[in-house]
Amino acid sequence: MRDKMKHPSRYLILLPILCTPISAQNQEPPPPAPVPQPAAPAAQPAVAADASSPRPPQLFGMEIPLLDPASDTVSYNGGVFDVGNNAVVRARFEKYLQQNPDESSDARKYRNKLEELVRATQRNARSGKAVGGENMVKIGHGLYEMNEYPPDGGQAGALASAMASALAVQFDNRKRDRENDKLQKEIDDLVAHTNRLTNLNTGRGGRTPSASSRGNGKGKTSGGNAVNTHSVRISHNTKTIAGHEAAQVKNDAESSAALALSKVNYQSMLVSLLLSRRFDHALIGANSYRHIFRDGDTSLKLEKDSKADKLFRNAAGMPPTVNSIASAAATARREVDQHMEAVNNLLEQNKLADATQHLIEAVAIGEYMSSVSTFPAEKRRRIAEYWNLRRRVLTSINARDYGTAEEIAGRMKSLDKDFDDAMIMSYCAAKKQQSDLALRNAVKALQEGNDDDFNRFITEAGSIWPRNPKLAEGRKKLETIDSQDPVREEFKTLISRREFRTIFNEQSRFEVVAIDPELKELYRDAITLISTIDGMLEQLDVAAQQDKVMGPCMAYEMLLEKKAEDERYASDPLFMDALNRYALAGRDFVEALEQAAEAEKRDEPGAALACYYRAQCFYPGSRLAKEGAERVSQLILRAQF
Amino acid sequence: MARRSKRRRRRGNSNLPMLLGGIGGVLLVVIVAALALKPAREGGDASRQETFSVADYRRNASLLIGNVYHIEGRVEHIESQGNDRIVAVSVPGNEQERLPLLVRSGTAGKVNLTRGDSFIFEVKCCSGHTDNQREVKGVLLVRGVESK
Repeated sequence: MRDKMKHPSRYLILLPILCTPISAQNQEPPPPAPVPQPAAPAAQPAVAADASSPRPPQLFGMEIPLLDPASDTVSYNGGVFDVGNNAVVRARFEKYLQQNPDESSDARKYRNKLEELVRATQRNARSGKAVGGENMVKIGHGLYEMNEYPPDGGQAGALASAMASALAVQFDNRKRDRENDKLQKEIDDLVAHTNRLTNLNTGRGGRTPSASSRGNGKGKTSGGNAVNTHSVRISHNTKTIAGHEAAQVKNDAESSAALALSKVNYQSMLVSLLLSRRFDHALIGANSYRHIFRDGDTSLKLEKDSKADKLFRNAAGMPPTVNSIASAAATARREVDQHMEAVNNLLEQNKLADATQHLIEAVAIGEYMSSVSTFPAEKRRRIAEYWNLRRRVLTSINARDYGTAEEIAGRMKSLDKDFDDAMIMSYCAAKKQQSDLALRNAVKALQEGNDDDFNRFITEAGSIWPRNPKLAEGRKKLETIDSQDPVREEFKTLISRREFRTIFNEQSRFEVVAIDPELKELYRDAITLISTIDGMLEQLDVAAQQDKVMGPCMAYEMLLEKKAEDERYASDPLFMDALNRYALAGRDFVEALEQAAEAEKRDEPGAALACYYRAQCFYPGSRLAKEGAERVSQLILRAQF
Repeated sequence: MARRSKRRRRRGNSNLPMLLGGIGGVLLVVIVAALALKPAREGGDASRQETFSVADYRRNASLLIGNVYHIEGRVEHIESQGNDRIVAVSVPGNEQERLPLLVRSGTAGKVNLTRGDSFIFEVKCCSGHTDNQREVKGVLLVRGVESK
């Protein structure tokens, strides 16, 4: 931005038509519709109407586009347009990038002629010598030659016609001047003749009335009636003089009106050329102005103290004259050339971002300048690639596709190491986090069964980041939730029947019931129970395999204890199968324990103790046998016989 | 008195000798059967000793109450409470069995019961009760010990 501030032309309010091409003949610009881009980040100001800002000044009924160097925006027709992200500017710039430079002989001839005419008018202007008819004819011929080159768009021909019209008016005025001179001579003669006749009538002249009327028979015959005769002639002369003077006044008025109209037409032509960015043409016309209109008046015919009048005064630092146009055109030409020089230098340093920025400004200002139109195709392609990425990243951000925006920003960074992607990345990360947070709140609301909050948060998450991948996951979950009611009922039935193994085997199907906090605990318990049983059976199986005598006894006793601890174990068929299998494998041990229990029931502690001892013989580590033996031993020892 | 006279008259008159003979026969059968079925209850002397079966004892110890046995066994485990002990002995030929014997204080006399040694125990299958009157049946109470 600091570089941009250095360019003086940035402050030129006449920086032309960035948004709408304006032909020299038709100055009715189609009003460009501002494109609202609500989601654009602060770094990339959106194109939007700015009602609060003051309206730009107008020139000849046209609003003048104003470039704001601080924000890279142009104010036009009440709208604020981002130079880098406006549909019209973008389209023109992309068209330019896809064009090949016109290096045909006609194009070279055209550019050479244009340059030649600019230099010729500048030289003549500097020399101070009056441009003779020959020079004007050469300029006119040159302009008409340029007019034959189609890309010129008839601008040179229009300028030549304006010049010819202005000169024709000048010739007419000169003819009227000569006519007035002739009339003046006749007036002078008539005045002298009238004076003489008057003197004769009054006798104050050197000659007597008789002498003066010597050759006049009427004078001789009428004698004293000579005064009346002169009076008639005097009267006639006086009328003639008055008629001539009226004709002179008429001629002067016509000349003045024609001159004023001619100046307005010519100045309008110059402003049109300037606004349509034909700076070379405008410069040629402005430099030729004082040689066409030799009255020395170069002031622009603007309403005094109007906005346009102030505009020219403030911009160029001088009164609004044709020189202001020449100054603006020359400055714009220089500005464009500097931009193009910067573009070439930056491309050599592989700084695509800055090069693109300079090129778009050069194209926006001076699309028809030769330095712009001859920009090599290969360099255009490089910038076009980067421009496309820049456009896509803006489009992605506007479309709130932050994932794609980050990806493209990364590619831009790979193309231009100096590209500052921090703002884009931060913006995207912030938006993604906002969306994720809203999603988290939605999930929480769902778990709490709060449908209103869920709908609100899920809408918020989607509006912030529509392509949030977690939204797709959430959608799947929602679809699952929609179909969970039958599953939930089936789950409840299985729980009531204690068919935990079935839930475990189809846990992926029953997982959705965990969304319900009430069923979540039951689901988790069922899965935990069966997992525990399976793990335990696996370990017991290994132990039983290692010791085929005590192993089954140990397994049986452990399963028996688990069964006593938690009655849900008995509901698992695999658990019960294992219990029966180990009971069969350690049947002597099991039989001893069972006999002990029966003996205790019969109040025969001695027999019970004998059974427990027998059980310990098969499995010395048996806790059941040990506890039973201790229990009945105490009973025996305390008894009285 | 009149009624008694009538009965006496009836007995005396009809089947009195047969009735007395039948009653005597029945009583004799009952006495013989009782003696045959419950010999141990009136035991206490060496003439009523039985062969002891550990398996029978485990299955139904109540049936052995009152019997006296001489059991040879090796001391495998001793559990004491005060001066009373429960001695687990293994019976020869049946190593997977342990027979619990209650040895009250002073019952063993001068014999020192130690693990791993074999003894001959004179035991009686007794019934008793606990302090809270819970019945305790079929406990083998040692009456005497001899070293083998």
